[in-house]
Amino acid sequence: MRQSRLTLALTLAPALSLVAALFGASVIYGVAQSLGYLSIIDQTTVGLAVYRSLLIGPSPAAAEFWPALGFSLWVSGAATLLAALGALLLAGLLARQRAPSAGSVLALNVSLAFPHLVWAIGLALLLSQSGLLARVAAAAGLIAGPADFPVLVRDRYGLGIILDYVTKEIPFLTLMLLAVLRSQPEGYDLVAANLGANRWQRLRYVTLPLVLPALLAGALLVFAFVFGAYEVPAVLGVRFPRMLAALALDFFLNPDLRARAEGMAISVLMALIVLLVALAAAALRERRDA
Amino acid sequence: MSFWSRYSRMSFIGLVLLSLAACGAAAPAATQPTPAPTAAPAPTAAPAPTAAPATAAPAPTTAGAAELDPANWDGVLAAARGQTLSWYIWGGSESINTFVDTFYGRPLQERYGITLKRVPLSDTVDAVNQVLSEKEAGKDPGSVDLIWINGENFASLKQANMLYAGWPQKLPNSRYVNWQNPAVNLDFGQPIEDLESPWSSAQLQLIYDSARMQESDLPRSYAQLLVWAKAHPGRFTYIAPGPGGFEGTRFVKGALYELSGGAEPWLTFDKDMWATWSPKLWAYLNELKPYLWRQGATYPKDENELHGLFANQEVDFSITQAIAGAGPLIDQGLLPKTARAFAFDKYMIGDFNYVAIPLNAPHKAAALVLANMILDPQLQAAQIVPKNGFGLGFGIDVTKVDDAGAKAALAAAATQLGEAATPADQLARALAGDTAAPYQDLVEQEWRASVLIKP
Repeated sequence: MRQSRLTLALTLAPALSLVAALFGASVIYGVAQSLGYLSIIDQTTVGLAVYRSLLIGPSPAAAEFWPALGFSLWVSGAATLLAALGALLLAGLLARQRAPSAGSVLALNVSLAFPHLVWAIGLALLLSQSGLLARVAAAAGLIAGPADFPVLVRDRYGLGIILDYVTKEIPFLTLMLLAVLRSQPEGYDLVAANLGANRWQRLRYVTLPLVLPALLAGALLVFAFVFGAYEVPAVLGVRFPRMLAALALDFFLNPDLRARAEGMAISVLMALIVLLVALAAAALRERRDA
Repeated sequence: MSFWSRYSRMSFIGLVLLSLAACGAAAPAATQPTPAPTAAPAPTAAPAPTAAPATAAPAPTTAGAAELDPANWDGVLAAARGQTLSWYIWGGSESINTFVDTFYGRPLQERYGITLKRVPLSDTVDAVNQVLSEKEAGKDPGSVDLIWINGENFASLKQANMLYAGWPQKLPNSRYVNWQNPAVNLDFGQPIEDLESPWSSAQLQLIYDSARMQESDLPRSYAQLLVWAKAHPGRFTYIAPGPGGFEGTRFVKGALYELSGGAEPWLTFDKDMWATWSPKLWAYLNELKPYLWRQGATYPKDENELHGLFANQEVDFSITQAIAGAGPLIDQGLLPKTARAFAFDKYMIGDFNYVAIPLNAPHKAAALVLANMILDPQLQAAQIVPKNGFGLGFGIDVTKVDDAGAKAALAAAATQLGEAATPADQLARALAGDTAAPYQDLVEQEWRASVLIKP
């Protein structure tokens, strides 16, 4: 199947070149705007002033940017780690069944069918202080009133956002891991069991090494996705701190059109951070493969 | 070839694309002129229909638009006949959509031979971005003929020099407009400079639930509100000031008026006055903060979110701008039937909203005809009656109307506001103008730093 490499490249070429042209133009244009090139208000001077005010300050933009960066890293990092961990455990469990039941696979697929926005609104309806659980708990006498329900969504620590991504990405990663596990000979696990490995040891020494590359790649996808996502933080986040995407759009939609430069600069920085993480992961993979 | 190696290659391609998407996400305007960047999705908003693709606008009628003279009204009417007018208008309220189609669409066709194409927007900023994208792409004629607009969106288009100028005061019906009123000729403090023409008016009010509270217990000033909040911790909040949360900005400005003892001084910008009073304003809001919903850790981001909190009984007050008060919101099923609007005794900021014509509008003549028709006293009377579905106030000064029939219609309409509205005398007594424009940014930015972010 070696010739398939060329076939693959050729079959992907039309789609990729289209995407590259569209995204390429966007990126160039975005970078230009972030440098202050704003043709909508006939401003064509270019400089690093926006990046300076964003990164160094003191300015209102810097006071918003750094907390937003920290918050974004916290949310995407925590969501990725928890989702990867959950997926590993779940895949380990499911892979032990000789044929994972149709029901469990279906359940995993069903959750993928929900858009993040729908999932987020569902969580808000369920977990907000006027939500279903709060009302049930209040009616059952567990808490004095719905307002005493713990703040799980629209909270300062991003718990609601993390919860949304963890619950959505665990099925996604689990399906990836199951696909890998099922393509492996079944014997490894059996051999290890015969040699006296307990459940934990089999997970640690058999399952994990088998799925680690897929898990790493999947976790990266999740990280990049969460880091740049907008809609869930918009629904489940608070006014401060905000995630970078929400902050960038806020700047971009500011009625003062000059603020678009800040919005674009934040977007460019976000892209750079994700690219850095992707490159680091690629380097890690190279080392492992070598 | 195993699944893994095939997968890994695709995943890394996907990853690169994703990371690029992170950058491109905020810049859809760059490469796709038609779908403007969507605004922040309002979480509690009903899934409003997205803007219809505007590509179908027939272009051939634009010839001669450049020489259009608004002062020659017969010429405008002749040029407008047969045109299809694309009106970009916030479409989040079904009752407003019906009002527009019934009260404007039909007479436009019957009287002037103009076809109204109402382009519903989930947020007016979409129309602004559409026009700005067209400017960047050098598209003239564009696709937007008329926009329902005010405040920040007006300021953006004005800043970009993308508004058709010099027509509002030439409209025949502009004689009914009180152009001397600062609430009319300043839009969020921004001089309108004959770039937009009024449609209707609005005024900030609070909403309470008459099933939960007695009218006599309502706070009637910011000072009383603080006392009330301390007695009812967690039962009040306001909309976060900022773009999209202008009602919150107005609520905060009202507090500034009360603390400083008057609204008039704030009509002109004075840095020293701001330096004197803003610390007192933030002190007031920070004193209020621990008694707010969620102890002020976060605030609803717009009117819809606050209505949701109110309807869920998480808080006891909501905010509206409609002259018909809670009526239209009750009809939409957003608020309980017992919701009632009320005003403080003073400092409830009122303002006007407008229609504007983009510089690259393909059918300026038809847009002028509609902008003029909107000011017709009979239609102005129809727009304030809650059952007609619009629910905002007059855009004209009714004392300037001399026709007896129109006068009677206006007077009759004013009696039909319904019990969910704030009584007209209360509103009139509390009416205050907005501040000078520079305060808008100052209030919004310093509120974030001094109230929201402050631990």
